[in-house]
Order: sequence, then structure tokens, then C-alpha cells
Amino acid sequence: MTTPILEIRNLHARIEDREILKGVNLIIPPGEVHAVMGRNGSGKSTLSYVLAGKEDYEITEGEVLLDGENLLDMEPDERAAAGLFLAFQYPIEIPGVATMTFLKAAMNAQRKARGEGELSTPDFMRAVKAAGTDLNIDTDMLKRPLNVGFSGGEKKRAEVLQMALLQPKMCILDETDSGLDIDALQVVSKGVNALRNAGRSMLVITHYQRLLNHIVPDVVHVFSDGKIVESGDKSLALQLEAKGYADFDTAAA
Amino acid sequence: MAVSFPVRLGPAENTLIEQLKSVGADATAERIAVAGLPTRRVEAYHYTDLKTLLRAVPPMVDGSATLELALKAGPLPLQVAGAHHIAITNGLVPSDLSAPSGVTVGRAQGGVLSTRDDILVHLNGALAKQSLALTIERSLDQVIQIDHRIEGEAAHVADALKIFVADGAAATIVEVFSGSEVAHVGNHATYVALGKGANLTHVTVDLSAKASSHFATNEYHLAEDAQLRTLVIHAGAGLSRTHLFPRYEGAGAHGNITGMNLVADGQHADITMDAAHAVPHTTSQPLFKSIARGRGKAVVQGRLVVARDAQKTDAKLMSQGLMLSDEAEILSKPELEIYADDVVCGHGSTCGKLDEDSMFYLMSRGIPQAEAETMLVRGFIEEVLDPIEDEALSEALHMVVDGWLLGK
Repeated sequence: MTTPILEIRNLHARIEDREILKGVNLIIPPGEVHAVMGRNGSGKSTLSYVLAGKEDYEITEGEVLLDGENLLDMEPDERAAAGLFLAFQYPIEIPGVATMTFLKAAMNAQRKARGEGELSTPDFMRAVKAAGTDLNIDTDMLKRPLNVGFSGGEKKRAEVLQMALLQPKMCILDETDSGLDIDALQVVSKGVNALRNAGRSMLVITHYQRLLNHIVPDVVHVFSDGKIVESGDKSLALQLEAKGYADFDTAAA
Repeated sequence: MAVSFPVRLGPAENTLIEQLKSVGADATAERIAVAGLPTRRVEAYHYTDLKTLLRAVPPMVDGSATLELALKAGPLPLQVAGAHHIAITNGLVPSDLSAPSGVTVGRAQGGVLSTRDDILVHLNGALAKQSLALTIERSLDQVIQIDHRIEGEAAHVADALKIFVADGAAATIVEVFSGSEVAHVGNHATYVALGKGANLTHVTVDLSAKASSHFATNEYHLAEDAQLRTLVIHAGAGLSRTHLFPRYEGAGAHGNITGMNLVADGQHADITMDAAHAVPHTTSQPLFKSIARGRGKAVVQGRLVVARDAQKTDAKLMSQGLMLSDEAEILSKPELEIYADDVVCGHGSTCGKLDEDSMFYLMSRGIPQAEAETMLVRGFIEEVLDPIEDEALSEALHMVVDGWLLGK
């Protein structure tokens, strides 16, 4: 059997005294796109932060393997270099740091961590230009400070641009549809779909079925009260949209 | 006066009194003898208690060996590519002065006049032997860099600079302070007058040795529509203080008064501004940034005084601090003193450590912690450096910041 790209085993996490993840189990084989749906406050975003290594959470039980490697032992930058990418629900604004400067630093840091040489400036510019064209990102936007004054759509397109440039094995998209109008949603989804391939897996976190019309998942999981309570194919998302989350709360109880 | 409170004088004060008496500045000597150096009870020195911080003052500089010392001195710590250099070594202005076309340069005996009632200004006025005078007659493309160096044995040096920018002329002048690695005391005064519609960028960078103390007083007079950008950088001396006195004296005058304290263990840096909006329709945007690591201490005091007649003044003062260690200290005191009733004035002050969410975001993209920190610190300072238009100057100033970040 091939090694899954992501394997989460009985993951428990808390913030201060409050347990938020209460035994998450999830296996994502290479090339698959899994969706996690759940209502606000069910712990979906916590799952994404815990996987990316945000400090605020304490892992009390369980383990996570990224392509067979123990993810929880790594610092956030090491996780990124190992191939994990989190597209933030609310990308952070960094004043005084030009987007272009940041992109180059990120790409070179990951290359360095993997023992590869630095990108030359022309190679970097070519890569940025190629990836940016599909996402309607021009060089003017990249000269601006990272995410500062970007519209909701620009922020999400910039996240997908980073994903395209960093070529991760495992992409986590946290509420990528939030703050997007229909047109922006199409551009972003197209960008994400272009990155789907046999070796790359994705975890799409959302509470609307809408996004899943554009990024069609292989598997849908229902998240409730800190764990996965139901899994199925994409029809599960439609079922949720029709009936709401209430039925699954009982299933969890 | 019937009642007096005797002040116990320390070695620094006794030396200063002797030095003042030797040049006949008896009034200033008397003032120190009676009141001592300012302590934290004096509002302008509240966070920079000179009596405590300035423990000793070295002998007045001996000018006789200056030329020889200047020749032996090492490379300048900051060089703006293509700039016209004028050296002031150990307080002495060279006799063979040269200047770019459009500039008249001259040497005068004594200091520059100032009406500021401040002990450091009085000391400078009494002890500066020579001053350099620059008159900018028309707009310059070339940056003028003035290299203040204190070389040789530990010395007390006072020097002075006068800058006149003629109506409609524009210039960029950089003053760099540096010297040998001993306990010098440098006291500098710069007097600037901007004519109507004149435009000046005035940058002062302290890169003196950590063992030394650096004091500077910069006074600016702005006529109608004059545009001034100043940038003070403290990144050298163990004790540094720059006192800025911008005065907006003509309608349409505008000042971007900016500054940066970069301090590490054992350093104390203070930028104090007393700005006067004296007439209607003047504007200013003072912006100060402090970064402290180790047990470094940074001080920003900013005061905007708006005169009764100075209606329609628009002035916004901001002081921001970034603390990179638990022991770092940043003291910030913005003040508004407004006598007019139709103005837009504001002040703000923020202080904190590096934002955790920003750190996480950068690291989640693969950027290691140390590099992410450097990026955020550079980003924090960029707001002050970015408006510097001259590319060579901008590059040189970025190198100063990078040097500090690398712990030099």
C-alpha cells in the first residue's frame, strides 16, 4: 500500500483548559482531495492550525504523519519545507515587506532546507510571472507590501499563488471561499484545480457546499464537536446542504 | 537669592565647569555649579538623567594632532555612493573646503547661535571652536555627506554646522558621526534655515563607538512652503540624545520629522522633539521608531506646540516601539500643547513585541524563525526608510540597519 500523504491518528488538542480536537482520525492518500465540513466552532480551523504548527495549541494525544514523517515534532518552517501548506482563512498583513521579497525568501528558504541551491532572480521572476498570469496577479500587486490593503479576492489569490510556487505535497485550504464573490471564487478554484495531481493531496475546509461545486472532492468528512463523525463521497456534501448539521450532532452524541 | 539647595557635583560636572571657565564661559559654568547636570526632575531630561548617565567627561580635544589622526583613521562606517564629502575631525573644519557647484561653503570661529535654553546647547555654544557653514543656492543632485569624526584618545569635542537653503533650492545632507573606540563625548549643533519653497532632506546617523556619548541639537526654521524631511538614526554610542527643534514659521511649511533608535545591551538612545507651529496653515508628520534588544533602552519624547495664531495646523505625531527581549525598555512620551482652536492634531504611541500571528504566517511558508524576525523588523523600519528618495543614500541607510540587525 502506498504511504498516505497525510495520516492523522486519534489527535487531541486543547487551548488552555478547553479541549477542541477530541480524537481526529483521517487518512488522505496521494492525489486525493478531501473536504471537511462542519459548522462554525466545530474545530475545523483548529485542525488546520494544529497541522501547520501554531503555538497556541497543546497536543495532548495522537500523532500526525506527513508522507510517513512525524509532523508534530517539526517547527512550522520545517513542516512547510517538508511539503505542508496552509492557505489561511485570513492571510496576515505584513507592512513594510514587499510581496515579491517575501515570495523569494519563502521559496529559497524551502529550497535551502531541502539542500537545493538558491533560485536565480530571472528564474524566480519567470516562475512568479507564469503562476501569476493564471491567477490574474500582475507585478504591481507583488510590489505592494504583503497582503496590506489587498481586497478579499486579492488575498486569496495571493495564497494560491504561494501554493503554486511552493509546490507542496499537502495543501490545506481553510475557508478559502470566505470573503470571495462568485467571480473571484472561480479564479481561485481554477488555480487550485490546476494544482491537483497524482502526487499532491488537499484538505479543503469549508462550511458551505458551494466551494465543492468548484473544487470537487473525492471524499467528504463531517466534522462535529472536535472529530470526524461521518465520511462519504461528494453526495454527502449535498445531503448536508439540504438537511443541515443537526442530524450529525446526534450521530456524534 | 536667600535660599539655595546645594547640589552635589560629580566628576563630569567638575570637568565641565573647568572646561567652561577655561574659555571664559563663566555663566554656563556657574549654572552647572549651582544646578548640576539635568536630572529626571527636569522634564526634558526625564528619561535621560544626564547626571546619572554621564559619569565622566574626557579632556577637551587637543587640536594639534588632528590632521595626523585624520590621516590614520580607518574607513568611514557609512558612505553614500557619489556623495560630496566634508570632514570635520575632532571639531576642526578643514581650511581647504570644497563644495559642489551651487553651494557656498565657509568656516567660522565659534559655534552657531541658538536661543535654546538647554545645557547641551550652552555647552556647545561655549566650547565649539569652529563651525561649518553651507549655503545651498540652487537645487543639488549630489548628496552632501558631512563626516564628523572623533579620533585619537578620549576627548570632549564640540562642533557646529549652519545650513541655509535658498528660496526654491533643494538638497540632501547627511551627517555621519563616528570615531575611535574610546569614551569620547561629542556635542554637535546644527542650525538649519529653509527659504521659501526650499526642500531639504537632512539625515543624521550616529555610528560612534559604544564607549562614547553622542549629543546633537538640530534646530530648523521653515519659511513659507518649505519642505523638510529629517531622519535621526541612533545606532552607535552607548549614550545618545538628539534634540530636534523644528519651527514652522511660514504658511505651507511642512516637516516629516522622523527618527530611529536602535539599541542593544548597555545602550541608551533618546530622540526628543520640540516642534513649534508658529503661524497658520503649517503641517507636520513626526514619526519615530525604536527597536530595543538585550537590556537596551530607547526614549522618544515628542512635543507639538501650536501657537494661538497657528490656525489650520495639521500635525500628527506617532511613536512606535518594538521590543525584541524581555529586558528591553522603550519609553515614549508624546505631548500636544495647543493654543489655537481650529487645528487637526493628534498623537499616538504603540509598543510591543513582534506579532506572533505574523511570525507564524512567515514560518508557515518555510521561513526559519531568525529570518522571519529580521523580515518583520525590517518591515517595521521601512516606513521611515522608504520615503528617502536618493537611492544611494537609501541603500547606505539600509546597510546601517542590517549591520545593527547582525549585531555589529
